[in-house]
Amino acid sequence: MNRITIEIWLWIGKELGDDFASPSEMRSIREESVAEGTTIKQLLDDLAGRYPPIARSVLDTKTKRLLPNIVVNYNDRVISPHIVHDQVLKDGDKITVLPIYVGG
Amino acid sequence: MDIGGYTGKILRVDLSKDETSIMELDRSTIEKWIGGVGFGARLLYEEVPAGIEWSDPDNRIIWTSGPLAGSGVYGAGTFNVTSKGSLTNLAGCSQANGYFGAYMKFSGFDGIVFQGRASDLVYLWIKEGKAEIRNASRLAGKDVWEMEDALREELGVKEKDVSIYGIGPAGENGVRYSAIVGDRGHLAAHNGLGAVMGSKNLKAVVACRGEKTFEVKDPARLKEKNKALFEHAKGFGPVYEWGSGGGLSALYGIGCLPVRNYTTNIFPEHEQMNGQYMRTHFEIRSKPCYMCRIAHVKEVTVTEGPYRGFVGEEPEYEQLAAWGPMIGNTDLGAVVMLSREVDRLGMDCNEASWTIGWVMECYEKNVFTKRDLDGLDMRWGNVEAVKAMLNKIAKREGVGNLFAEGVMRASRKTGGVAVDWAVYTQKGCSPRSHDHRGGRWAELLDTCVTNTSTLESTWAGIHPQLVDLPAVHDPFSHEEVSTINAKFNGIRQFDDCLGTCRFASTDPKLQLECLNAVTGWKLTLEDAFTIGRRVINQLRVFNFRHGMKKEDERPSTRYGSVPVDGPAEGKNIMEKWDWMIENYYTLMGWDPKTGKPLPKTLEELGLGELVKDV
Ligand code: SF4
Repeated sequence: MNRITIEIWLWIGKELGDDFASPSEMRSIREESVAEGTTIKQLLDDLAGRYPPIARSVLDTKTKRLLPNIVVNYNDRVISPHIVHDQVLKDGDKITVLPIYVGG
Repeated sequence: MDIGGYTGKILRVDLSKDETSIMELDRSTIEKWIGGVGFGARLLYEEVPAGIEWSDPDNRIIWTSGPLAGSGVYGAGTFNVTSKGSLTNLAGCSQANGYFGAYMKFSGFDGIVFQGRASDLVYLWIKEGKAEIRNASRLAGKDVWEMEDALREELGVKEKDVSIYGIGPAGENGVRYSAIVGDRGHLAAHNGLGAVMGSKNLKAVVACRGEKTFEVKDPARLKEKNKALFEHAKGFGPVYEWGSGGGLSALYGIGCLPVRNYTTNIFPEHEQMNGQYMRTHFEIRSKPCYMCRIAHVKEVTVTEGPYRGFVGEEPEYEQLAAWGPMIGNTDLGAVVMLSREVDRLGMDCNEASWTIGWVMECYEKNVFTKRDLDGLDMRWGNVEAVKAMLNKIAKREGVGNLFAEGVMRASRKTGGVAVDWAVYTQKGCSPRSHDHRGGRWAELLDTCVTNTSTLESTWAGIHPQLVDLPAVHDPFSHEEVSTINAKFNGIRQFDDCLGTCRFASTDPKLQLECLNAVTGWKLTLEDAFTIGRRVINQLRVFNFRHGMKKEDERPSTRYGSVPVDGPAEGKNIMEKWDWMIENYYTLMGWDPKTGKPLPKTLEELGLGELVKDV
């Protein structure tokens, strides 16, 4: 199993409840254990299955596509949706999910 | 006027002759150009021929509202200003919210065209179809807050009885990025429209509240659609709950926060500088615009740090970025103080901070010494030195005279390596306070190819899914960004014809339904796109006629550079810039090599008479 840190910067901490730490209004953080060979998309899909606010805000569980205006950072670098699809997670990786276009 | 939402009258003010007159609007002009930026674009083209410079008395400055202003739609006090602006010497179109757009119509006018130059400083007063040009020499040198206070006192009116917009010392002194400021902190900020007012000796415009002077065709339908529009805006992003600063940290997360003049993208203090922090730590009071239920405008009292007790407007995202990370400042109270200072002096925070950030980098790298800067210690984060420099700029005093020219001209005059450090577009217009090299390539492209001098196609990024176009999935795809920008272009300019605030009218389809309810029209989304594209092409023909070149539609070296660290490290928009531009031009119906509108494009938009101009 690999330990992955997932950060969601979408102001949905209150709805996610105690499974996620919320160090600020915006951020919700959790560590997940994933099997060898799991991709970023598979992790997001699994989370969306367990947490309805993630299905609503991050990933369409039917099409398995990121919702409009959502981007993913892999180890603090923005990556394209194609990489989200294919990237296999390694132990210690960090995934950040955030909106592209908000506010000013 | 038998179309709902219009007074049917435009006021013409000849400042040289000290006289006013009325122009009646005909149905075909209204249907073709709608209002706001549409009226502005057309009138500018008709009345300002090639060879007229921005400061020429024959330049026009056109203030126009739109059919939704004052109609009952929430947050519809917006107006548009169009002129030949001082940063680009090309068309400049900028909007301000507040009350003026509604009050101008309640005073009996859909718009005001100013021409000429007054012999003394003057202001315009309008009420119930009457207009008077009045002496304002006693207001000379006053900041915009003092100006509002003095005019209200002189007129013996209460705060909400009038809406006042005008210029501060920056506009009077021809600072190239001076803004038109009013209603206690709202700005038409872009392309130095305040400097155009200053060049005409026009200090302010006062519009009185008055009664509604136009009809709403279907009030019941308007009520229903307006409610839905509010619900949409409320749920659209963090603005309703946290203000526009609510998105600051998310922008940091994708490498979009401008840090120390684009020299880095690392700013761990972002969570002490965002809207969430401000609204949970500072004292906040609501200050909404005309009939606005989103009410995102607030007044704040700083509760911690060196500026504890300071009262100012809650900074918008652009001000938070400009006076925080961009200048290496990590104190949120200081952001409130500097935002107030820039507004008070009557300047655009975007260009002001590109200029100040560049000066700070030049100081750090010894291009400028303290002596060169009139003794000011312009190290990163020295907010009191920044405040002093802003005041020098507004007065064009000492070295402030050079920096009053804006960062493009100041850097070119300085020469050497410092030219490559300045953030601007080759046309001279300022990007908004982002690092567009991060996940906002759509805005970087838009800022370079715009005809309005500020965003034309995009808005807080881009939201094509709102008009049934595919959303942007990869913000770093040259293909996706240039294609979607072109396909989406039109709806935002249509929106700027209407007299409503974008934060309060986030759904274009519902907004269109409100427009149809007010006017009695049956416009479709396709019609809206056509009208918006007509405005864009009209402005583009004006710009080519006034000397714009394709080569100007590029970022400066620093603006188009590759981020050296942070979330967007290594992303290079310039890698396929020429391809992106050609793709964009082609999809806009413009010649892919020259960027000029093709005859077929103009004819399809009902602008056949402009073909001879290109
Ligand atoms: S959303 Fe904000 S700027 Fe827009 S009308 Fe309302 S208070 Fe004014």
